[in-house]
Amino acid sequence: MKHFWKFSTMASALALALVAPTLSAQSADDGMMRAKERLAVYTEAPVFTAPGEPFDIKACAAGKKMLSIPNSSANPFLKGIIDRMKVVGNDIGLEVVEWENQGQPSQWVQGFDFAIRSKFDVIDLISGISPDTVAPQVKAASDAGVKVMTSHFYDPSFEPHPLISSSLPIGFNEIGKILANWVTVNTNGKGNIAIVVSREVPPTIPLVAGFESELAENCPDCKIVREINVGVAEWGTKIQQSVQAVLQSNPEIDVIIPIYDSMSQFVVPALRLTGTLGKVKVATFNGTPFVLDFIHDGSVDMNIGESLDWIAYATVDGHMRDLCGLAVPDKLNVPFYIFDKDNVADAGKPAQFDTGYGDAYIAGFHKLWGME
Amino acid sequence: MTETDKVASAATGPKTNYLRIFERFALILVWLLLIAGFSIAMPVSFFNWGNFSILFASYAPAALLALAIIVPLTAGDYDLSVGATLTVSSCLIGVLNAWYDVPIVACIIIAIGAGVFIGLFHSLFIVYFRIPSLVVTLGSTSLMTGIVQWMTNSSTIGGIDNALIMAVVGGRFLGVPYVFYYALIAMIVMWYIFDFTPLGRRLLFVGRGREVARLNGISVDKMRVGALITSAVVASIGGVMYAGILGSADPYSGLNYLLPAFAAAFLGSTTILPGRFNPLGAVVAVYFLGTGITGLTMLGIPLWVTNVFNGGALILAVTISQLTRGREVTDIG
Repeated sequence: MKHFWKFSTMASALALALVAPTLSAQSADDGMMRAKERLAVYTEAPVFTAPGEPFDIKACAAGKKMLSIPNSSANPFLKGIIDRMKVVGNDIGLEVVEWENQGQPSQWVQGFDFAIRSKFDVIDLISGISPDTVAPQVKAASDAGVKVMTSHFYDPSFEPHPLISSSLPIGFNEIGKILANWVTVNTNGKGNIAIVVSREVPPTIPLVAGFESELAENCPDCKIVREINVGVAEWGTKIQQSVQAVLQSNPEIDVIIPIYDSMSQFVVPALRLTGTLGKVKVATFNGTPFVLDFIHDGSVDMNIGESLDWIAYATVDGHMRDLCGLAVPDKLNVPFYIFDKDNVADAGKPAQFDTGYGDAYIAGFHKLWGME
Repeated sequence: MTETDKVASAATGPKTNYLRIFERFALILVWLLLIAGFSIAMPVSFFNWGNFSILFASYAPAALLALAIIVPLTAGDYDLSVGATLTVSSCLIGVLNAWYDVPIVACIIIAIGAGVFIGLFHSLFIVYFRIPSLVVTLGSTSLMTGIVQWMTNSSTIGGIDNALIMAVVGGRFLGVPYVFYYALIAMIVMWYIFDFTPLGRRLLFVGRGREVARLNGISVDKMRVGALITSAVVASIGGVMYAGILGSADPYSGLNYLLPAFAAAFLGSTTILPGRFNPLGAVVAVYFLGTGITGLTMLGIPLWVTNVFNGGALILAVTISQLTRGREVTDIG
């Protein structure tokens, strides 16, 4: 009997040893298929989906005023969104005003005072101002009957500030997953990755979490070799040198993920100096024009973008729903779109912020708002 | 002194101050020890020529900025605007070349010309109106930052002519990109002027005592104007190099080079010619700090440690230098 157990244990171990690589290969193949399927959604031309029930936006917005406070007016991405929100506002009868600032919290506080004194209906904190930073002002505005809303800031997994009337989050976690699936597909499931992050920026956390979880699910043989954490203020002085050092000490790295694409301007010189430009793949997020130009010249391989105009329409839609007592969408209704060498020409040469995404959303929103 | 004492003194010669000699080369010694330490820890990845060639190239703009700063510092003026001048220069190249298709050589001439203009602008307020250099260059930093944001629409500009990239980092000599040699040439020229020409001596006298220099017939104002223009021009050349390394121009990152450049200038003043800002010392300091950052990053140490290393190395080196010199008064700071 004892011999029988011994024999059967050995047989089981042998069988497992023979089957394990097959199972592992099967798991990697399944992961690759899943990654390809999930990625395909973002490589097709963006399609408009209604964020909610149709409503008469003109009746809702008539005579209303919204003050948009960007994180910094020097940021062309945010400036571009607000400029387009003004155009959309003009079409529907909503007065959209920008509170110009240089990214200083004291200026944001002044913006709140201005909105309360001038009897605005909505304060829109756009992409970057945490309501926690201006909590007393959020309370003062709420007490004065001014609704404070955020857009393009929280991840859906975040718990918004309790005094915020509504929030239009964007899927940073989803972006992390897109990046992970792109790495899986483009390294044949064997990527050795360096990821450049700024952990002090709140969206970084869900983005990296999404990247890691998706990689674990779909790419068992991929490996994050190094995470390079650089504060935003030090991008110019630290990213290039750090990436160079990491590439020198880890020559097996074949993919670099600067999670925000403006980091790429310091990653690309590092690749050039280390002689790995064109050999190490670069994938990133934000769709900033100069980085799309990097795709043109082969320095960067992929960039996930969003249409600023689409963001403007979706933000106005979400905020007006809140203002008129309708259900607010769970997240900002803007699709992500992958630019690579095959479609980057659609973004223009030199690339523009709002080109290459199509215009399906304009007719879609107009129909939804009863403005056909 | 008696005749016997004189004879005895001549026989023994002046007393060799070994402590002073050690002080002159201490930073270089520590640098070599740092290299040895990292090389033992990472014999393959750190101790190879490729790594050093990249290190030499990527810190060249910082070396140029440190060189720019020490000229007015020697003359007794601060130039806090070198980071902004570097940014103006690189963004001028980006805007003119990538957006307006101006040939790259013309862009470089315009960028350096802008440096001359900035130096003259500073001189007008510092030398003519006699406003403290700290105030003027602080103000002009903000002024230039605003102009750059307007000029670039606050965006990074890609698509700079590949010829500049090739001339800066594309071509290599002994495996090291050309940009390092440009910084090296600037250092040698400045070293020669500082140490071997009457001009360098006059600059030093102006910094050590303006009134004394003036009474000795030195045209103090002209020297200060020259120093401010040189500083801005060298910073502009740094901007050209920066644009060549990045292959793009962005309106913000150059400003962050100011503090590391000042750190290197002060750290450099503890070596080669201790107590005096000197070109060799400044460049050695830049690469000493660069070596520390590179090695620590390769070891996988979080980047905040590199800030601690930079600041700690600066304070420690200047303190040790002062202690070695018996806490004597220096012209620095």
